[in-house]
Parts: sequence; structure tokens; C-alpha cells
Amino acid sequence: MDEKKRARWLDVLYLAMVIVPFILCMALKIATTPASEGITVTGAHVYFIIQMPFAGPAAFSTLPITESQVNSWAVMIALLGLCLYLTNGIRVIPGSRRQVIAELIVEKAQSFVNDNMGERFAAFAPFVAAIMGLSAFSSLSSLLGLYPPTSDLNVVAGWAILVFCLITYYKMKGGFVNYLKGFADPIPVFAPFNVISELATPISMAFRHYGNVLSGVVISTLVAAGLQGLSSLVLGWLPGFLGEIPFLQVGLPAVLSLYFDLFSGCLQAFIFAMLTMLYISNGFPEEAYEARQARKSKAKLA
Amino acid sequence: MELSVISVNLWQIIISLCNLLIIFLILKKFLFARVQSVLAQRQAQVDDIYAEANADRRDAGEMKQRYEQHLATAREEADTLVRTATQTAQRRGDAIVQEASQQAAHLKQKAEEEIRMERRQMLTDVRSEISDMAVSIASKVVEREISAEDHASLVDEFIRNVGDDQ
Repeated sequence: MDEKKRARWLDVLYLAMVIVPFILCMALKIATTPASEGITVTGAHVYFIIQMPFAGPAAFSTLPITESQVNSWAVMIALLGLCLYLTNGIRVIPGSRRQVIAELIVEKAQSFVNDNMGERFAAFAPFVAAIMGLSAFSSLSSLLGLYPPTSDLNVVAGWAILVFCLITYYKMKGGFVNYLKGFADPIPVFAPFNVISELATPISMAFRHYGNVLSGVVISTLVAAGLQGLSSLVLGWLPGFLGEIPFLQVGLPAVLSLYFDLFSGCLQAFIFAMLTMLYISNGFPEEAYEARQARKSKAKLA
Repeated sequence: MELSVISVNLWQIIISLCNLLIIFLILKKFLFARVQSVLAQRQAQVDDIYAEANADRRDAGEMKQRYEQHLATAREEADTLVRTATQTAQRRGDAIVQEASQQAAHLKQKAEEEIRMERRQMLTDVRSEISDMAVSIASKVVEREISAEDHASLVDEFIRNVGDDQ
């Protein structure tokens, strides 16, 4: 009985961890956003700036704490709460619907990674799930009227750079010389292009994700503003305050939001995870790695 | 104050990178590790149950085979028992019958022998009586002494005639 009570309290706590951060973020946004006139497409709102103890340009010497950072922290806390909620009271013989959901998520992620990367990269399942979860929840936070962290280049760039580090790490598993040789493929003259294409990988990943989400925001803003103008033009003759209500804004923005926030957000999360898996597993030089392992074990024996 | 649409900040990038790492660790520890350990336990349990069931089935099969074997041997034993009993009974019966007939034959023989002896005895008696009678008759008839020789020959002749008549 006591155990049950404790589990219920933990459930409440975990669900609060999912919901409360978003509510706080919304409250913060409402409290700090000034009423704006006209159409503005801007980046994240800056709450305050921390001076870093380094000299140099602003991109290096300062750390602005922005809406996108706060929102991504909210998403992280929510994800942690969700994980804890789903696995609270998990048993060998499934007793709750949430356990079934948790098992479904884990098994789907595992089979998704095994199918796309092979058994060797089975340990990548939590990482890929982390990318998908973080990206999807970040994009979907725009449904709550929050600034989606994924439309901030810095956020997505961080992920892309981490993925790039992993790609390079796995490419070097076949030996550093083998890695360098890869740049002289098919002929050494191509080396500069290969370097550029290598560096383009994280940049393209970051800009693809960021651009897709941001373009959704931009188009939604433009359409909303346009509809407001059209509304006042067509229905401006109505008497009193009726003329000021943008009736035409009802409907179309909702459909656009369905596409840009819901569909595009999930799709970009999927694409980012897919590209991560493909780049890492394709970059891994299997034959060179195995030859190297064989050489190593032979040297150990000798 | 707002950031411009494209703004790059090294620290924000690093923070975001760390965020992804932290989420990775959270998912790994709080979702994947927990669920996978439970799944592994369940798999182990299911394997155990299957192994147990298979062992039970094998045991049952063995037992069934053993029972069938026992049953077959029991039937065979019963058959042999019945057969040997029948044979023994037959043999004993034969022996009894044989003994009985033997005894009967023996008795019959004995009886016949007795009859024969009795008859001989009777004949001897009769013969002596007749000879006495003959002697007395002859002595009456002849009224004279006859020699012993004549006497004996006369008796013998008489008896022979008596015997022939019989």
C-alpha cells in the first residue's frame, strides 16, 4: 500500500516534470515579449548575456541565454520526466499500458538502428532516439507558441558537430593513415573537394534542419500578416470593433501549422536521425578495421 | 533584445552539443537500460518455462514408453502363464488318465488271473471229487478189487472224458 502511494506520487512528480517546464517557458515568454508592431522575423529572444572570460568577437566572448536555450532545457527536463514516468513501476510481467509504450519505443528504436546501421552499431539506439526525441520535441514546442529551439542555428549546429565528431571517429577506426587516404579518392587531385565535402556534412545537416523549421516560422508569420491585411481590406467596412477582427486568419494558419510544426518537425527529426545513422555506418571502413584488428591481435600473439 | 535570424555563438553550440549528450545518457540510463533489462529478464523467464515444459514432456514420453513396455511384458507374462498352466493341466490330466487306465488294466489282469486260478482250483477239486466218485461208482459197479494200475488208468480215462465234455 505504501509502495503504491509512493509510486503514485512519483507519477505525479514525473508528469509535472513533463508539463511544468513548458508552462514556465510560456509564462516567461509572455512576461518578456514586448508587443510588436508589424511583421518581424527575428531570432530567439535574449534573456540576459553572460560575459565569458575570453577576449575576442562577441560570438566567442559572450554567452547570451536565449529563449531557444531555455526551451531546449525545458524539452530536456520533459524528456527526462517522460522516461521516468514510462519506466516507473516497470515489471517483468507487463502490468501497465505505459510499460507497453516504453517497450514499444525501445524495441522500435533498436530495430530501426539495427536495420539501418547493422548489428555492430546496436549501441547507437539510445543516441538515435535522443536525436529524434530532442529534435521532434523541440520542433513541436512551437505548437505551444514557444520559440522552437531547432529554428536556432546554434542548437542544431551543436548536434551536427557532435555527429560529425562521431563520423570522423568511426572513419578513423580503420587507422589514421587509412582515414587520410580516403581524401585522395579516387585521385589525389580531388583532395580539396573531398575535404570540402567532408566539412559540408555537418554544415548541410545543421542548415537543413534549422532552415526547414525557420522557414516554417517565416512562412507562417508572412501568411498570418498577409491574411490580417486582407481581412482589414475586405472586411474593414464592418462597423465598430468587428472591422478590426482578422476573420480571415481563422483556418489557413492552422493548416499551415499542421504542416510546418507537426509534419515538418517530425520529418526533420527523422531525417536528421536517418542521416546520422547513414553517415556513421557508411563512413565506417569495415574491411580496413577488421584488417587492423587482425594485425593487432597477431602482434599481441607474437 | 532579439538575436538576428542567423547568429553563431560558440558557447551556445557547445551547450547544445552537451545537451544532446545529456539526453543520450538520460535515454540510455532511464529508458533503454531499464526496459532492456526487463526484456532480458522476461526472455530468461520464457526460456526457463519452455525448457521446463520440454523436460516435462520428455519425462512424460519416457514414462509413457515405460508403461507401455510394462504393459506389453505383463500381457506376455500372462499369456505364458496361461499357456504353461494349460500345458501343465493337460500333462497332468494325461498322466492321470494314463495311470487310471494302467491301473484298470492291472486290475483287470489281476482279476483275470484270480478267475483263472479259481477255475483251476475248482477244476482240481472237481477232478478229485469226480475221481473219488468214479472210484466209488466203479467199485460199486465192478464189485471187485481192481488193481491199482487199472484203477488209475480208469480214472484218468474218465477224467479226460469229463474234461473233454466240458
